[in-house]
Amino acid sequence: MSDGVLGASVVWQIGPFGITDAVITTWGIVAGFAVAALLASRCWRPEPARWQTAAEAVVAAIEAAIADVVPRAAVRRLLPFVATLWLFILVANLAGLVPCLQAPTRDLSTTAALALLVFGSTHWFGIRIRGIRGHLRHYIEPSILLLPFHVIGEISRTLALAIRLFGNMVSLEMAAMLLLLIAGFLVPVPLLMLHVIEAVVQAYIFGMLALIYIASALEPTERDAESAAASQTNEEKS
Amino acid sequence: MSLDWTTLALEMLNFLVLLWILKRFFYAPVLAALDARQQRLRDQATRATRTQAEAAQLKTRYEERLADWQREREEARRQLEQELVQLRTSGMAALEASLADEEAAVRARAAAGAASHEAALLREAAEQAYGSAAAMLRRLASPQLTLCIAAMFCEDLAALPDAEQAALRKAAADLAAGAAVEVSSAHALDAAARDRLMAALAQAAARPLTAAFRETPELVAGLRVAVGECLLHANLADELAFFKSRGAHA
Repeated sequence: MSDGVLGASVVWQIGPFGITDAVITTWGIVAGFAVAALLASRCWRPEPARWQTAAEAVVAAIEAAIADVVPRAAVRRLLPFVATLWLFILVANLAGLVPCLQAPTRDLSTTAALALLVFGSTHWFGIRIRGIRGHLRHYIEPSILLLPFHVIGEISRTLALAIRLFGNMVSLEMAAMLLLLIAGFLVPVPLLMLHVIEAVVQAYIFGMLALIYIASALEPTERDAESAAASQTNEEKS
Repeated sequence: MSLDWTTLALEMLNFLVLLWILKRFFYAPVLAALDARQQRLRDQATRATRTQAEAAQLKTRYEERLADWQREREEARRQLEQELVQLRTSGMAALEASLADEEAAVRARAAAGAASHEAALLREAAEQAYGSAAAMLRRLASPQLTLCIAAMFCEDLAALPDAEQAALRKAAADLAAGAAVEVSSAHALDAAARDRLMAALAQAAARPLTAAFRETPELVAGLRVAVGECLLHANLADELAFFKSRGAHA
């Protein structure tokens, strides 16, 4: 199998850098989101129209999903990143249904980039919310002997995040292509319907896993719990 | 299935740009709108709660006021009933008094009417008796009866009470010189009768008197003697008139 099937094909070559179709599709998606966001920001009204109500419902649903996992105070901090992940991956997955377009998420580089962003955001939010000492202490608890396992876990779950999305999207498109080759025209249509569901499910899984990873970085350690209990006791005594 | 670092870097950059754009132009206004709406809802809920509390307070106040009005109404009704009872009692007493007065007046009027009727009956009876007696006495009238009455008059003059005798004598004394005593009789008196009468008059008046005799049939029987201002009756007409007047006074 060539890169055209399992990966992205280079459209432009600028020196040593090749611009793949996945990047171009991503630019299109970003541009579409940007135009929609700009138009929405200009047409925002106190009494919402239907589209505004739908947009508010989407954001409120994402906020509620995040609030179920992380502490209330961190919801608004995480919302832009997690919501963008969900929206981008959803649209990117569905882009493969458009003729002449390839889903960016069928490119391992794209999913790896997203996984790396999740990896980085986990540490970013952990350090911002708990401080660098509190965040690093997380890796040596309950024992310093677990540090290698924590590191391996961080790397493996990032790899799994990238490979899972990439594998699911590629396998779905390959199955559709094989059916098209074997059975002929219009037969893969039911499989394309399944593609819609798969796109939604994979976007939800990726975003939810990213949210869980970030939430795990925000969980209080044993020492945090002890210090919190001690401070509460001092407050009660005072 | 190879990892292209250029694509990886560009995709990361693309995602970060998308994240900034959406955060700046989509999430911020949406969250602001949601917060504003939630704040508005909280404000409305607060106002509704305050309004509800005020309404409950007003309701309690109005219920208390209604209870006060109810008590005042009951009190006013009780006072009114008492006043009505008093008015009815006083009205009944006044009515009974008025009825008693009216009854007494009616009784008085009835008694007066009965008395008047009785008096009228008595007067009618007296009139009838007078008429019958007068008719009977007119039939019995005669010169002999006049003479008998003249004889009886002479006897009465002799037994005249002192007061009447004094009055007769004073009237006789007051007679002007030459004045005569007027003697009216229903029938003509004979000379003997005239002499006995003048003798009796002179004895009663204690002085000699002259008389002018005159026949007056209206006297029915008997005579009437006028000595100056003193008038002596001894005839049926005057007696009947006297009884008639007594019957009218009765």
